[in-house]
Amino acid sequence: MSDIAITLKVNGHDRTLQVPADETLLDTLRARLDLTGAKRGCNQGVCGACTVLVEGQPVRGCLSLSANCDGNAVTTIEGLAKGQALAPIQKAFAEAGAVQCGFCSSGMMLAATALLAENPKATVDDIRAGLAGNLCRCSGYRKIVDAVLSVVAGDGQ
Amino acid sequence: MSAPQFDLPTSLEEAARLLAEDPEAKCLAGGATLVALMNAGLVEPTALVSLRKVEGLAGITRAGDGSVRIGAMTRHRVTAGSVELKAGQTVVKQAASVIANPPVRNMGTMGGSIAFADPGADYPPALVAAGAEIELASVNGSRRVKAGDFFTDWYQTALAPGELVAAIHLPAGHPGSIGYYDKLARVEGDYATASVAVVLTMAGRNCAGIAVAVGACGPKPVRLAEAERKLVGGTLDDAALAAAGALLAEAADPVDDVRASADYRRLVIPRLVRRAVRSAMAQVR
Repeated sequence: MSDIAITLKVNGHDRTLQVPADETLLDTLRARLDLTGAKRGCNQGVCGACTVLVEGQPVRGCLSLSANCDGNAVTTIEGLAKGQALAPIQKAFAEAGAVQCGFCSSGMMLAATALLAENPKATVDDIRAGLAGNLCRCSGYRKIVDAVLSVVAGDGQ
Repeated sequence: MSAPQFDLPTSLEEAARLLAEDPEAKCLAGGATLVALMNAGLVEPTALVSLRKVEGLAGITRAGDGSVRIGAMTRHRVTAGSVELKAGQTVVKQAASVIANPPVRNMGTMGGSIAFADPGADYPPALVAAGAEIELASVNGSRRVKAGDFFTDWYQTALAPGELVAAIHLPAGHPGSIGYYDKLARVEGDYATASVAVVLTMAGRNCAGIAVAVGACGPKPVRLAEAERKLVGGTLDDAALAAAGALLAEAADPVDDVRASADYRRLVIPRLVRRAVRSAMAQVR
């Protein structure tokens, strides 16, 4: 079967690509577009390291087939900052020390971005529920929640 | 292995025709299950029939008589937040709200989940308790199968080759009924170790009607008329609940797996049944 022609709006830019039908969005982002912020952890949808936003909603990059995302807007961690200016969630993660090995950080920040867009006054419980699909194997959850809370509180803005 | 063909039908008829033409073709709904299996090398479809553009497959509609149609492509997130599910039907909404985690609920669909029919999944017992019917479509037209007959064995359903899930229909039920879904899991978001779905109607202090379905404790949800007869007409006291729970535990056919032993599951079923029914009772106004 020949490749499928698709267009993805990745971080605001239209990218027209030819992909095999079984290529995941994660592989397209990492291997074709050099956007390596989304990580491959389990490749089974469990760990959340590959989380990206499709049409503003967090999804698993590893369980999304690129051919099935034709026409969709995709946001990766590389698309959060405006030029050199980090997004509030990125600043908050840096300031709270919410990063240990960093492998989960991209997915965490994207899941948090979607959570706060929907619920700008998220409580600790809302944040824990919203990030429940993102595992941190360094188990640094506390500072991650602190970082998201600091964005809710408007610190540093 | 070469990459599969990719089809993007826009109608149910076209999707059914594509499935009829290629017995190895698989429907691609949300991808949450199928793509995970492909990534693991467990499934190698020759063709993917994407349902994303098929008209009329997504969304929840409530008819004038109170019955509800849930399109097969309806995401868990939408079902979990729907105001169209009322009274006893909310057992399905509650089940949707505890599936996996937010990103997976943004992707996964009811049709995809039930077609895979993982016995530890949340929809099977909820749909059985709600008295749902599954609408299946093929080139020969459509048919409806009761949820209790749709789930046939471990990861097996009544879907015939070339058929796909088109919709899930929930009957109106009693307007005063209560739906309650109770899930025991190792951690939030895991598949159930055991789960109990209840649809309860009370008349004063007495149980006027009840459906209890146990999930994750055998090849398919366990619902037992004999157990429900122990409850209907009574006040749902400890003795009646224990009797019903014992019958359900006996009828269940659990296995040892990574989540729990079969013995543990049999032990926990009566307790979970009691807790779920009591929680449902607490919501009766």
